[in-house]
Amino acid sequence: MKEKIRLALAQISSKRGDKEGNLRKIEERAKKAKEQSADLVIFPELSLTGYVIRDQIYELSETIPGPSTQKIEEIAREEGIHIVFGMPELSEKTKATLFNTAVFVGPEGFIGKYRKMYLPTHSVFEEKRYFRSGYQTAVYDTALGKIGFCICYDLFFPEITRLARLKGAQLIVAISASPAVRRSYFEILTAARALENTAFLAYVNMVGVQDGLQFWGGSRVVSPTGDVVAKAKYDEEDFVVCDVNYSDLRSAETFIPTLRDLRPELFDELKKSSESL
Amino acid sequence: MIYLELTSAVLNFDAPEVEKRIKRFIKEYVDNSRASGVVLGLSGGIDSNTIGALCASAIGGNRVLGLMLPEKETYDAKDIDDAKVVAEKFGLKTQFCDITPALEGFYKSIPIFDPAEKLCKGNIKARTRMVYIYYYANKLNRIVCGSSDKSETMMGYFTKWGDVAADISPIMDLYKTQVRELAKHIGIPHELAEKPSTPALWPNQSAEEELGIKYERLDLILYGLERFMSTKEIAEQLRIEESQVQSVKARWLAVEHKRRMPLTAKLEYRTVGTDFRLPHNNY
Repeated sequence: MKEKIRLALAQISSKRGDKEGNLRKIEERAKKAKEQSADLVIFPELSLTGYVIRDQIYELSETIPGPSTQKIEEIAREEGIHIVFGMPELSEKTKATLFNTAVFVGPEGFIGKYRKMYLPTHSVFEEKRYFRSGYQTAVYDTALGKIGFCICYDLFFPEITRLARLKGAQLIVAISASPAVRRSYFEILTAARALENTAFLAYVNMVGVQDGLQFWGGSRVVSPTGDVVAKAKYDEEDFVVCDVNYSDLRSAETFIPTLRDLRPELFDELKKSSESL
Repeated sequence: MIYLELTSAVLNFDAPEVEKRIKRFIKEYVDNSRASGVVLGLSGGIDSNTIGALCASAIGGNRVLGLMLPEKETYDAKDIDDAKVVAEKFGLKTQFCDITPALEGFYKSIPIFDPAEKLCKGNIKARTRMVYIYYYANKLNRIVCGSSDKSETMMGYFTKWGDVAADISPIMDLYKTQVRELAKHIGIPHELAEKPSTPALWPNQSAEEELGIKYERLDLILYGLERFMSTKEIAEQLRIEESQVQSVKARWLAVEHKRRMPLTAKLEYRTVGTDFRLPHNNY
């Protein structure tokens, strides 16, 4: 396992409903990432299809594996790079049960996926209308270290990243499609999730405008002490490369020993209290 | 719950950021729709002056046509001058069309036309202006940019299918008092930014007089309603009669029909306007 890896944050504007065009963009950015010696290139939530696709989601969703994931596996194999991207996933067992999924592939092929657990259905968001919630945290032990996942609104719920960290995640990949009026929340939450878990966190947000929603970009890598060590531009496409050195985890954990100080009995209380809210 | 203190400070906003977002919205919509530019009604009032300036700044004045559409009963040379001031300053193109002959054609040809019914007659004016604006947009391959603000939209203070008709309405999420602030920020002369609003449906019509409330107070009431505050809370905070807040709320709720596509009876699998949920193709 590598101790030091290079991340590429591919902050793109996905064209809605245009999987072919978006796949070309993903391929182009993957090549660019490889040219800059990145080990992992990360794309936003639902980057394969765009975010506001409403009823068109039924024709745009695919199983995983499926044609688009196979295409991205080929890109990863050809470029010798790891890729994370987002897409609407069609359950293999049904005809119209969908998940909002992050897909993780590497030079050796498909590694795993994470299905978004917290689906925002308030304000301008209508994800529960279309998606079923995921039920499992995802941490994958790879050549690039132990990598955990969350998607956008999941960041408001510390249990997702906490569970990923407790399962050993050194790097948490958070993909997102966050509109501009919520920028300040995510700037706080990404730092908090990294800091409270003393883990690296790579946040990649969409840009572009869809149905009046202006996605704000601002993708970033946050260190285990909560510092923003790399940041993409607001509101426009950008591509940022950043090195992550896992040896920093030790000094962060000793300086901020939140994992040592965890109190498991509080989780029982948390469970009981949340059930009776 | 967060204690919300209803003072004018709640309507403060980051003007440079909002200006940037609105201009981006206009530019991306025009680009994505492959239109050659925008057409808008330029009355010389605060909303259309602000929209004209924002459009010109977003896509270039040569691609923005402000139509000045006066008619004899409400003609006000000051309005025309004010529109010209903004057009010159921001470089947008203008076209003057006197709509009086068209209006007189309607008055003569509608068998039940009654000049004493000033609202019905006034609505003809707003809808006639819409016809002119859309004609220019069709002819020039442009989109129509509306200038409705949030205060008027929430109160239903507009003519259905008239002045509100547009392809985009970039300032519809800003209250009137916020539009005035944005106008000053982008360089609209102070005097024009503070000019009283009128829909110009009949002579000497004043928006605030008709609404029966100053925009400074109306906007705070609407802001409270937007944030799910009760009429009692709003009235207590603003130190006004609850009946005044209730009356604003009642009007806001009563005119939802003006803000939506027409309802239909639910008969089939997916229905236009309800559960036929498609993304907007231009944006």
